[in-house]
Amino acid sequence: MVGDSGIISRRQFILTTATGVAIGLAGNPSFLHAAEEVDLAVISGEPAAATRKALEVVGGIARFMKKGQRVVIKPNMSFARTPDFAATTHPQVVVAVAQACIDAGAKEVLVLDHTLQRAELCLERAGIRDACRNMPGVHVLALQDRKFFREIRIPQGKVLERVEVLTDILDHAVLINVPVAKSHSTTGVSLGLKGLMGLIWDRESFHSQFSINQGIADLATVIKPQLTILDATRAMVSGGPGGPGDVKKPNLIIAGVDPVAVDSYGVGIVPWYGRNFKGRQVEHLLAAYQRGLGKIDVEKLKIYKGNV
Amino acid sequence: MRKTIQALSLILFTAFFALATYRLPDWLPADLYLRIDPLLGLNALLASREMIGRVLWSLILIGATITVGRFFCAYVCPLGASIDFLDFLLFRKSKRPGLKTDSRLRRWKYFLLIVIIAAAVTGVSLAYLLDPIALLTRFYTLVLYPLTVTVVNLLLDLLRPLSQGLGWVNLAHLHYPQPVYYMTALTLAIFGAVIALNRFAPRFWCRYLCPLGALLSLISPLGVFKRRVSGECNRCMVCRNGCPMGAIGEDPFIAGAADCIQCRECALICPQKAISFPASFPGVREVSGLDLSRRGFVYSVGGGLTLGFLSLRTPFTSLQGRRKLIRPPGALPETAFLRTCIRCGECMKSCVTNTLQPSLWESGFSGLWTPKLELRMAACEPNCNVCGKVCPTQAIRSLSMEEKTHAKIGTAVLRKEMCLVWAQNKMCLICDEICPYNAIVFRPVEGYRRPVVIASRCNGCGYCEQRCPVRGESAIVVAPDGEIRLAEGSYIREAKKLQLEFKPDPGDDKYLLEESGFKVEQGEKEEKSVPADKPIPGKPKGFL
Repeated sequence: MVGDSGIISRRQFILTTATGVAIGLAGNPSFLHAAEEVDLAVISGEPAAATRKALEVVGGIARFMKKGQRVVIKPNMSFARTPDFAATTHPQVVVAVAQACIDAGAKEVLVLDHTLQRAELCLERAGIRDACRNMPGVHVLALQDRKFFREIRIPQGKVLERVEVLTDILDHAVLINVPVAKSHSTTGVSLGLKGLMGLIWDRESFHSQFSINQGIADLATVIKPQLTILDATRAMVSGGPGGPGDVKKPNLIIAGVDPVAVDSYGVGIVPWYGRNFKGRQVEHLLAAYQRGLGKIDVEKLKIYKGNV
Repeated sequence: MRKTIQALSLILFTAFFALATYRLPDWLPADLYLRIDPLLGLNALLASREMIGRVLWSLILIGATITVGRFFCAYVCPLGASIDFLDFLLFRKSKRPGLKTDSRLRRWKYFLLIVIIAAAVTGVSLAYLLDPIALLTRFYTLVLYPLTVTVVNLLLDLLRPLSQGLGWVNLAHLHYPQPVYYMTALTLAIFGAVIALNRFAPRFWCRYLCPLGALLSLISPLGVFKRRVSGECNRCMVCRNGCPMGAIGEDPFIAGAADCIQCRECALICPQKAISFPASFPGVREVSGLDLSRRGFVYSVGGGLTLGFLSLRTPFTSLQGRRKLIRPPGALPETAFLRTCIRCGECMKSCVTNTLQPSLWESGFSGLWTPKLELRMAACEPNCNVCGKVCPTQAIRSLSMEEKTHAKIGTAVLRKEMCLVWAQNKMCLICDEICPYNAIVFRPVEGYRRPVVIASRCNGCGYCEQRCPVRGESAIVVAPDGEIRLAEGSYIREAKKLQLEFKPDPGDDKYLLEESGFKVEQGEKEEKSVPADKPIPGKPKGFL
């Protein structure tokens, strides 16, 4: 994870004292110099093929990770629903990303989510664990115990001062967010940024104690995926997040480094609850944009569109 | 040899117990030990006055006991094995001079059996208290299982630094959800007492108390294998002192056929090698070995009948089905349910969400340990139907997933005075969000959007009650109102007849969500007054 420099050093300090293992964070900035990049890759096609193409367009997974690194992939597998409900990320999208990481020399790939429903049921029904079963080095885990979380501070937090996040994303340099596109009864849509709530321990307070939209923006200041790959092969346009709801099939994979840009584009691809919206109309996206976490206006983005 | 078989049987019992999870395949009878128990079967048949298919499995054990003898106690019974094993651990070295009242105590198990059967005739199920298989299964579920999970998690925690260091990713993230139950302490105390009684005599429970043992010993004298003592015997009495059942009398040539469990311990320890167990055909004399005093017989019949009638003549009976007690989906109508349930706890063990809990005093003495749903703690999982699958007496009917979905267990009731939306105008949609059946919708009421339960869509799963963020008691609770309890026939048909629809339909949600969090475009502002029957136009929640 690469945040602003203040966060890096603090986190590194925690890491060092806690585990005695220094994890090199210095090597990463290479991708910052990568030439001629697009903001977004928008690929239409079958889940696996479109995902591979999107990865290629954003510069290949190797741009975001180094050999021997551990990678955390964060799909949405929070509900015990089969993929056709579009409440969870398509297993083939996760497989394609995980395979790319393995091929690029990842030491191991952890596919993690803090599920809302019983972990075992979610793993079983979402199909992601089964799809990854024969991939050596890939571990699909649903974590539901507090001991797997560690508290960090949110220096720029407006409503949240500290939050307990999955220890694995603190101890790993690479985080790839692979959300599914779906509606959400509280936040309008649940895409990449909302999906970050699957990496923290306490979600209840987001619903009851403060503005969930500001809370998501707070989270986005400390949890920064290197890459967001939005699975919009299907989109649950109403009835989210758990479903059942109306499922549309945009057949799109949207990938980008800028989490706000990916989400903002995702808002525009289908009508939600029967109406068209723009990224700016989604409260938590606007909040994240206003914190300077990414670009929100789709018109100003450099987008590669393609078919496979 | 015997100990090996005994250990294997205990392992098998434990394995079946462990396999009783929501993933149990249909063909696997995880409740096998409970099914073959003729006491539980007889009790359920008499108490419920119904034929129960699974009870026929007990003919296996009855048949085997008639042909072979009372071998079950020594070789198969998992409680017997537990008693023997713990006896070895705890009381191996203690001196047990034997009880002077032995022969009178020995009758107790028959009296208890008579009490149980007499009570069953009145319609009260008592067997669960003392049946060894039910008792042990209950102990496994309510005590051993949660304890094992705790210990395993503790070990995993201790190992975690190592497994992390070695990069064993799966092990490093392994953690089992901790099951919790009511009645754990009481269940442990009862099991502990059964074991502690060994202090007075080996297999105290089996000798004096076990009603299943009593039932089996009534038919066992017909068995072909009989203890025979040859002329080599020099009356050293080693066998008499060594018999774990105390079945050998002052004359070592005679062993009470009813009490002999064919463990062959005597043959093993006899210094003269004078004891054998050849096959022979029973004589009438041996069969009539049981001596119950007439007075004891009359007392126990009378006691059982009185106990049965008394425990039925209470307000609990009048209030059956009129309390907030949510039973598992597929549970028989309440009266039949109470009569049929043998309180083994198998359903609670297998319940995937841990919502199934033993009842305390909610429905009185006759309802102790019966399963109920604790929905504030956990919901009933829509994709699970295991509780019926593992029920040995089918007090919870084994239903297909589709049938189970229609076996409505109650209806959610919104307590408006506590609801954050109704009472405090707060934005909260958690019940609506979590409901797997879209049974909660937001309706415009006096200009506000308010959550409302559509009773015909609610099957009582309780996700709303569990997740309601109101502190303390939930603002939405599942009441038994509208539950479907069928002794036979299809729940789907019944639900259709009642015009219930549990197929989730997102249609309603479209409008209900079409307001709250999305931001309205300029010039598209919300209208102020809205007709109550029309959706409020505007933006869905989350959008600006």
